[in-house]
Amino acid sequence: MAIIVKLDDLLHARRMTLTELSEKVDITLANLSILKTGKARAVRFSTLEAICDALGCQPGDLLAFDPTLVTPAEKG
Amino acid sequence: MSAPGALSLSRTVLRALVVANVIYGLGILALLVASLVAEGPLFTALGVKQGEGMDRMIRGMRFIAVAGLAAVPIAHVILARLLAIVDTVRAGDPFVVPNAARLQTIAWCVLGLEGLHLLIGAVAATSASSVQPLDIDWSFSVTPWIAVLLLFVLARVFDHGARMRADLEGTV
Repeated sequence: MAIIVKLDDLLHARRMTLTELSEKVDITLANLSILKTGKARAVRFSTLEAICDALGCQPGDLLAFDPTLVTPAEKG
Repeated sequence: MSAPGALSLSRTVLRALVVANVIYGLGILALLVASLVAEGPLFTALGVKQGEGMDRMIRGMRFIAVAGLAAVPIAHVILARLLAIVDTVRAGDPFVVPNAARLQTIAWCVLGLEGLHLLIGAVAATSASSVQPLDIDWSFSVTPWIAVLLLFVLARVFDHGARMRADLEGTV
């Protein structure tokens, strides 16, 4: 997956733990952990909105695209 | 009845039906073999009269026995697939693509059984005559054909739903 989730960096910059974010955005710790470790296959706009609101950031701050990580299967 | 109780009962009933189906198959096979090794006594006991139309009646009854025998593996597939579906419900994850495939297999099997039912009706009609009546209590019903259609539609809906759910997995 060439999409990188930079949640860990944002949390670190804001001195916030995943548990604290989970309480703020009302998303389970398990789901946030899936997102943070890059195991999520899709992100709902509502999730994105809640996280951006809680962390005071833009969606672009949270996600990045690295073309070197595109797998041959994804290229088709 | 609670859901686990109903599931447990379903499994027991299905397992009993699998055994009953095998016994039914063995019975039909025994009848077919008897019709070959003891033709005279068997067909006399079954009420086939000597004389006109006897050969046609015997051929017809043998064909019906063969068709009955052919229904055994088809019924087995239906019961086995149904049992597998019930097992996925017990395991807590029934909305999976393999269950849609199982449902579609069941639909094809029910279609096959209905085909055999029609064939048996046609053979019975051509074998029987006023001299040699054959009462197998056969009648045509639209209901099983609607059930076949329903099963195919449900299998397609199930497949679509299972794929959508698989797609949603990993969504945060």
